[in-house]
Amino acid sequence: MVSAAYAAKLMADLGAEVLKVEPPRDGDPTRRRGPFPGGVADAEKSGLFLYLNTNKRGITLDLRQPRGRELLLALAADVDVLVHNFTPPQMQAFGIDFEVLARRNPQLVLLSITPFGLNGPHRDYHATDLTLWNAGGVAYLNGGGPGGEDLPPLKAFGQQSEFQGGLNAAIAGLGALFARLRTGEGQHVSVSIQECIAAILELTFEYWPYMGLVASRLGQKPIQPLDFLECRDGWIFLCCVEEHQWQTWVDIMGNPEWAGLELFENRLTRAANWDALKLLLQEWVSDHSVDELYRAGQARRVPLAPVSTMADLLRSEHLKSRGFFAVLDHPQAGRVTCPGAPYQFAATPWTIRRPAPLLGQHNEEIYVRQLGLTPGDVAVLQERNVV
Amino acid sequence: MAKALPLEGVRVADFTWVWAGPFCTLQLAHLGAEVIRIETATRPCVTRMLPPWADGNFGVNRSGYFNQYNQGKLSLGLDLKQPQAVAIAKELVAKSDIVCENFAAGVMDRIGLGYTVLKEVNPDIIMIALSGYGATGREREFVSYGPAQVPLSGMSSLTGYAGRPPMHVGISYGDPTGGLHGAFAVLAALLYRARTGRGQFIDLSQQETTVAVLPEGVLEHTMNGTQPPRQGNRDPFMAPHGVFRCAGHQRWVAIAVRDDAEWQRFASAIGHPELAAEPCFQRLAQRKANEDQLEAVVTEWTRERSPEAVTEVLQTAGVPAFVSCSNKDVAEDPHLNHAGLFVALDHPEVGERQHVGIPWRMSATPCAVRRPAPLLGGDTDYVMAEILNYSAEEIRRLKDEKILN
Repeated sequence: MVSAAYAAKLMADLGAEVLKVEPPRDGDPTRRRGPFPGGVADAEKSGLFLYLNTNKRGITLDLRQPRGRELLLALAADVDVLVHNFTPPQMQAFGIDFEVLARRNPQLVLLSITPFGLNGPHRDYHATDLTLWNAGGVAYLNGGGPGGEDLPPLKAFGQQSEFQGGLNAAIAGLGALFARLRTGEGQHVSVSIQECIAAILELTFEYWPYMGLVASRLGQKPIQPLDFLECRDGWIFLCCVEEHQWQTWVDIMGNPEWAGLELFENRLTRAANWDALKLLLQEWVSDHSVDELYRAGQARRVPLAPVSTMADLLRSEHLKSRGFFAVLDHPQAGRVTCPGAPYQFAATPWTIRRPAPLLGQHNEEIYVRQLGLTPGDVAVLQERNVV
Repeated sequence: MAKALPLEGVRVADFTWVWAGPFCTLQLAHLGAEVIRIETATRPCVTRMLPPWADGNFGVNRSGYFNQYNQGKLSLGLDLKQPQAVAIAKELVAKSDIVCENFAAGVMDRIGLGYTVLKEVNPDIIMIALSGYGATGREREFVSYGPAQVPLSGMSSLTGYAGRPPMHVGISYGDPTGGLHGAFAVLAALLYRARTGRGQFIDLSQQETTVAVLPEGVLEHTMNGTQPPRQGNRDPFMAPHGVFRCAGHQRWVAIAVRDDAEWQRFASAIGHPELAAEPCFQRLAQRKANEDQLEAVVTEWTRERSPEAVTEVLQTAGVPAFVSCSNKDVAEDPHLNHAGLFVALDHPEVGERQHVGIPWRMSATPCAVRRPAPLLGGDTDYVMAEILNYSAEEIRRLKDEKILN
């Protein structure tokens, strides 16, 4: 799915030669998730797959068959990093065993991304992005709000547990490569996605050990305004943390009389009386456009932001001037615009070098030219659905 | 003898504050780098001034927020408003491998510590600037606060309950996401420098790193001119897929049924095998079409049980489920405690408190949190004497002049 693919994408986009290994026939599950052009499912046109696997070559290999596992060992003999997100029972079934791999290739860094790590009572628990976002504690912090007790904890869009797992694996993996420069030896690195999520609870985790308090998504926020308001053409997020930011905002609104009420005199009372204040702000904001308020606020250092839609991002002059969005040119999906370089390196730029692989596109190149099999061998493997 | 850590011998001059930057340097500290925070007593890190404070008593060294994200680092107290302090900062950069900062674009230049200056001091320095909008572009000087990054990046317009307004995600998600991308970028630059001897400047935009993890949203727009509607906890390819009410005050459980076979096991596990054959639920398309009704059936079963009991029953049947954990649930999670995630080192002001440690394990270079978060300026003497070779007398004079703190 996403976690291991994203870790490898981060490396591929900076120049690593990455080989994507997929099961024969259906390929990677992200080929089935889309989005698809015109909404028509097509394994070669899934947006998520194309995004995650651009810059990689691709082969197919069935790890459920003994011959498939042999070929994996042969491939792993000649790589710096092997990254996967099989669960511990799958690792066992597919022969992903560090001792065995390291005997063939002592320099190998094996990166295992699993839901709950390699040890402990929940090691073999089944998980998805949703259950891990909850297991790590972020979901419980979101959703509901005042009067929203009956609404459940709310996940963030997309597959954020997976992305967090991938990012942590990429960091630990490069750490292991850096260590290898000195030691000449590889190692096994294990990343637990549940732990990655528990590591990003902002200030809330420590409320328990420091004050014995359970953090809640319900009730008042400690300070306001930090909330969504609807303009005539979309939403803004009004953010006034410091008193001078609020005073500036009041000035931008033309100093309405209600803004001077004692009820709203500081950020704590504004939070305590937020229901009333929000109505008044909402009424004022609804006559204005998002862009007008964003420019007016930022011109005077109020850190408000638009609630960007995807269309807003694509037409953002700022992102355009930074050259953020990239265009993939894919033989079947055509030209696809997607998020590009998330950072700009002065000396070693992020680049697109090749389109995402078609399913099994590089089988011959890898099995024949790299591993030395004959075309006849490959035909037999294909017949037996090993590749 | 303890094995060397991956970044042993790598020194980081850390000018970061709040969460994004410190989260970046936390990863480097986890990997064994010597991370030295440059901190000014008259303007401490925002997180030192925020709760939770140990036992509810305020103090710049008592914030759990600061102490969580600055584990393993050192603190040099330096008042960067004074020219001599800026000169000392340059001396530290000359003896460092990496500089990290996350001020708004242009601030380091105004202080006199921009990349062009630091490159003169240390030609192969690697410098990363993590700003809200990036170092170039027409909005580069806009003010960016963590909570506003989630809506700015597009995440809020995609997140929320069906038919309701855009929502937050519960944390300032652009901060850790930017910080992690930043740590990865720094490590890549270190590997490049090891091969070529060359440092470089890295410009990271938190907005861009957050958009980078929303491909399904962006591509729905670029392929089809629309964007996925807000749909709460639901998923287009799995049902049931949600967070369901359990017995007790605000107890919830997350459940994800991945395919039709899992649906059959789910039905048996909850004691209603007949549901599996129910025409309105049999296949994914039918469960999606009747999802309100489906969720009512699930809730009817979960609401009588604790989330732990639900998790146990469903996991036994091979169905993904987990408690929707509060901070307390995470802290007390038997598995995480068994796996060794938590760290409670003795801190001079808050004692032994539980913190979240390192979410990965390495077999050959076992990373561990080596020291608790630093006191404000707690390592000034060490840094000045041992790294920069100042005499005790010079250090005393600089403290008297409030250049050091």
